Amino acid sequence: MGSADDFLRRSQSPAFTPVKRVRPEDSPGTPAGKAPDPELGHEVIDQRRYFSAEFMQLEWEKMWTQVWLLGPRLIDIPEPGDYEVTEIGRESILVVRQEGGGVRAFYNVCQHRGNRLRAAGLGSTGDSRSFVCAYHHWEYELDGSYRRIPDLDTFPQGCPKGGLKEVHCDTWGGFAWFSLADRPEPLKSFLGPIPQHLEPYNLDRMVQTRDITVEWNCNWKTSVDAFNESYHVQGIHPQLLYYLHDLDIQIDCYEKHSRYLIPFGTLSPRVRKPPAIPEPIKTIMKGAGIDPADYDAPINNIRRDVQKHKRQYGKTQGRDYSRLNDDQLTDDYHYLIFPNLSLNVHADDFWIFRQRPHPTDPDRMFYDILTYDLVPEGQEWPERVRHRNWKHGDKSIGTVLDQDAANLPGVQAGMHSRGFGGLWIGRQELRIRHFHKVLDDYIYGPGGHPPGAP
Amino acid sequence: MDLGLRGKKAIVTGATKGIGRAIVELFAQEGADVALCARAEDEVASAVQELKGRGVNVFGDAVNVRDGEAYKAFLEKAAGALGGCDIFIPNVSAGGGFDSEKNWVKSFEVDVLHTVRGCEALMPHLEKSGSGSIVIIASTNALETFGVPQAYNAMKAALITYGKQLAQHVGRKGVRVNSVSPGPIYFDGGAWELVKGTMPKLYDWAIKQIPNGRMGTPEEIARVVAFVASPAASLISGSNVVADNGFTKRVQF
Repeated sequence: MGSADDFLRRSQSPAFTPVKRVRPEDSPGTPAGKAPDPELGHEVIDQRRYFSAEFMQLEWEKMWTQVWLLGPRLIDIPEPGDYEVTEIGRESILVVRQEGGGVRAFYNVCQHRGNRLRAAGLGSTGDSRSFVCAYHHWEYELDGSYRRIPDLDTFPQGCPKGGLKEVHCDTWGGFAWFSLADRPEPLKSFLGPIPQHLEPYNLDRMVQTRDITVEWNCNWKTSVDAFNESYHVQGIHPQLLYYLHDLDIQIDCYEKHSRYLIPFGTLSPRVRKPPAIPEPIKTIMKGAGIDPADYDAPINNIRRDVQKHKRQYGKTQGRDYSRLNDDQLTDDYHYLIFPNLSLNVHADDFWIFRQRPHPTDPDRMFYDILTYDLVPEGQEWPERVRHRNWKHGDKSIGTVLDQDAANLPGVQAGMHSRGFGGLWIGRQELRIRHFHKVLDDYIYGPGGHPPGAP
Repeated sequence: MDLGLRGKKAIVTGATKGIGRAIVELFAQEGADVALCARAEDEVASAVQELKGRGVNVFGDAVNVRDGEAYKAFLEKAAGALGGCDIFIPNVSAGGGFDSEKNWVKSFEVDVLHTVRGCEALMPHLEKSGSGSIVIIASTNALETFGVPQAYNAMKAALITYGKQLAQHVGRKGVRVNSVSPGPIYFDGGAWELVKGTMPKLYDWAIKQIPNGRMGTPEEIARVVAFVASPAASLISGSNVVADNGFTKRVQF
């Protein structure tokens, strides 16, 4: 036991020299400037939203069915009749490439007796260019209209109006997006500043390298929260302290979405300067074409030297960095597209972590890992990976994500405890507060709060 | 036991941190004058400053031992500043690395050439000493396989062989040559702290190899080095002294 002073001294965050960042005027593509921090107060966040069935229902009615959600990548459904069935909550959505080249989305449900038309995942109608329900063979065109209903003359009332129930569908960033809202705001307006931020990256030049769904035993928001702060790096990812700066992080909250910019290829001030270049940083150097064995400068110079090296040699490596600022050549530009897309965007790769709620159980969720790697100009376009489904613990999803996955069920279990008073959120976790504010705006109306909250 | 280090003049390379630092601290404590080098100027300056508090002569300069000419110039300056050299401890190492062929060149230049150049440049001073002594800092990585087939392990092995050969060559002139092979040594800012942080499985494995589960400290290696380097170890020459707390499993006959 020590005095209160000892407690404060032991708990002090380390001092550090700020990392050199690009000036906003040197970033012609993605805005680099800091957005003013919103005033969101210091109240606890009520933990019941992480496990209550009522809140889960409110989320469905007021949020999931009102927002825009990510659908398939357009190059994965190139031909008329190619489709993806994507699932959200209890719903299953069929996103289909049309005869004319466009994309439309429908509830994946036969209008006759409610059977699902197709199983989840990518598929193609093949030459038939129609969807036939396996139960009684009701058949639909790619545009959702009826092609054939066996023995239609035995239905004196005719057929239900209109065919498959359509949902709003639009495209941006090489992906189809869909919304279950009756009258959603336009996708571009929903995405806000995101397109301007991401368009300088060569997303269209990236091939999918991972496509994994893992079922996790936690609420979907428990997972979103974990990707919305870097405070836990010193807690559960100690190896990353030799890879990134976990304190000098620029947080930017926009209307619905948010981001933070994490310097990579540098040491955290929480660790002492090591006698050799840490292996994780060597990976960054090798990726840029710098041989760590040949590098004699101090470790602190590496981030900047990688930036300069990429700027100089990117073009000859078939990598077009011309629209990216220098920081984007090393750092993690990490976006949250509300409600459920965590994006780690880098010059040479792009990761989407998508959190989807379980259809019925607030204590479970689906975690989708979608990663993409830049294919240099002149290189053959590789085949994309196939989708895989795992349960937590089946298989490693990489050291860092394994550490997150191992941690989250404990967080979820603790949320239920009578000994827990709600989420106590610090400044490094501002994006968590912002995310829940946006969620509250959907659920309780703009500026609204849960009943009983201040 | 008096080691007989009082008034001796010792030159130690790479001595602002870790094992090298512990060695110069102990030499100074035993009353020996010390000269040291390292790459970072500010770290050399602060080490020199602190060692001066021990009441012995201290000389330090920033040099990259890979630069042969600059390194030899440092050694001459150091011997000049101390007024001779009785003890030489080539301690700098490029460390591990398995990135490319360049690791071999770097390890050769840093580990092997810096040792050879130092021994050759300082030999006239060591011969004059009457109790001249060289202790090469090797590693148990040279004695048993460890990790990956990296240059570090092979270069440390080369150093042990070189030390043995050199001992035969200069023994008649009153100079002893030995090497000390530390096992895993843990210290703040050291290689094992980095391993613990970035490769915890390797760290745990290493701990399990040590019978009492404890890695050594730089101070423990410094005590071995100080003894082997001192006139008290007058019969020890051409040896490789293993100080690894039981980490290696071979039997040394």
